[in-house]
Amino acid sequence: MDKISIVLASDEFEKLQAAAMMASVAAVSGMEVNVFVTMAAMACFVKERVDRKEFQKVGEVGRKVLEKKAPLYADLLSQGKMMGGMKVYACSLALDLIEKPLSEMVPVFDDVVGVATFLGIAEGGQVMFI
Amino acid sequence: MGDEKKVDEVVDARGLYCPGPLMELIKTIQLKPVGTILSVLSTDEGSVKDIPAWLQKVGQEHVGTQKKEGYWDVTVRKVK
Repeated sequence: MDKISIVLASDEFEKLQAAAMMASVAAVSGMEVNVFVTMAAMACFVKERVDRKEFQKVGEVGRKVLEKKAPLYADLLSQGKMMGGMKVYACSLALDLIEKPLSEMVPVFDDVVGVATFLGIAEGGQVMFI
Repeated sequence: MGDEKKVDEVVDARGLYCPGPLMELIKTIQLKPVGTILSVLSTDEGSVKDIPAWLQKVGQEHVGTQKKEGYWDVTVRKVK
């Protein structure tokens, strides 16, 4: 089975959207998908902020996504997980840095892992860094 | 092409953005028995190309696509 692993490190709204879309469509197309949320991206998964649509870096296209009420990245990931083979991992360092427990994040995460674990999971497949 | 076959299930995904229509198709196709013919209605042109690409990848059948008034009808047969 094809395997794709996505390292999601950006806090740019459009990049989060694009990554979540790639991940969910790959998952429903029979690929094994692993998403590792780390660094700046981690803050974009704080549940309170997502619920309030508090996005710091939104460009022209991102504003259209919000205006047209297209599904947000967190929803796209949930959908991909429900309908396909996708796992989403939170970077333990990034969680420590923002001083939040996993319970305050949007409920898309399967586990909290470090880089070494994720590299092991990603081994042998394609990796996308966003 | 789609007209010759009896459609068992209509997935009305008009108004949804990409990849909405594909996701709606997948939600429905999973629940239906082999042999079901589904018709996906989409106003999103990207999905009209994307759905056949997905069908090919997962080994389901694209029966045909028809342009209607302001939307497309993508007909699909669940073969496995």
